[in-house]
Amino acid sequence: MFTGEGLIGSPFVVTSNNGGHSPEAIAELCVNRLIQISDKAHPTLRDQAHAFRDQMLKVVVHYVKMAMEEDRATMCAKIREAGFPDLASNLRRL
Amino acid sequence: MAFTGNFMPTSFKSEILRGVHNFATGGNTFKLALYTNSASFTAATTAYTASNEVGNSGSYTAGGGTLTKAGVATSGTTAYTDFSDISFTSATITARGALIYNDTATGDPACAVLDFGSDKTSTSGTFTVQFPTPGATTAILRIA
Repeated sequence: MFTGEGLIGSPFVVTSNNGGHSPEAIAELCVNRLIQISDKAHPTLRDQAHAFRDQMLKVVVHYVKMAMEEDRATMCAKIREAGFPDLASNLRRL
Repeated sequence: MAFTGNFMPTSFKSEILRGVHNFATGGNTFKLALYTNSASFTAATTAYTASNEVGNSGSYTAGGGTLTKAGVATSGTTAYTDFSDISFTSATITARGALIYNDTATGDPACAVLDFGSDKTSTSGTFTVQFPTPGATTAILRIA
């Protein structure tokens, strides 16, 4: 039997207070797009998938933090070059 | 009336068959507007409305944000489309759901009503709506 229908996926909302998203929240967004685990999957496969997802999350958090630190280091260097060493130092300590 | 799950308005299904919407890259412009729990959307919803839309805050302004399309793809017998995540920054927002609508077509016709499941709040922060993984069983808009 052939069937046809229009379907809508479920959106995921992430919010932050008094600033932008944390590295952990951004990593969660990233991993959500990389892997989706069905509740209907075989329990053994589902457990393996969740374990893989947890490991993937740790790796992505690490590299998101590294990207932020490297970008901040570049910004500090530019600000220092522009003649604002104190501002550069304060930004580096964030 | 509160939000009652994610759905396509009936008018959208009709408009697909009449060629009103073009989700392809380079096609129409689609926007996402956020709403409070007081919004009243049903299958009979036909277009964007400012009624019960969240107020302007940070980068959120009336009418919502423009979505970045990822084009149209197929998997097996299912066709689907996807959008990039959308964020509103430096914003104080409490929203229960959203409406995706076509900002190019006359009358801003509605495409999809999204239910966040509960009120989501950002306070002087970032409010991000992430769309699900694009695929035959998960993508945000699918015709199976």
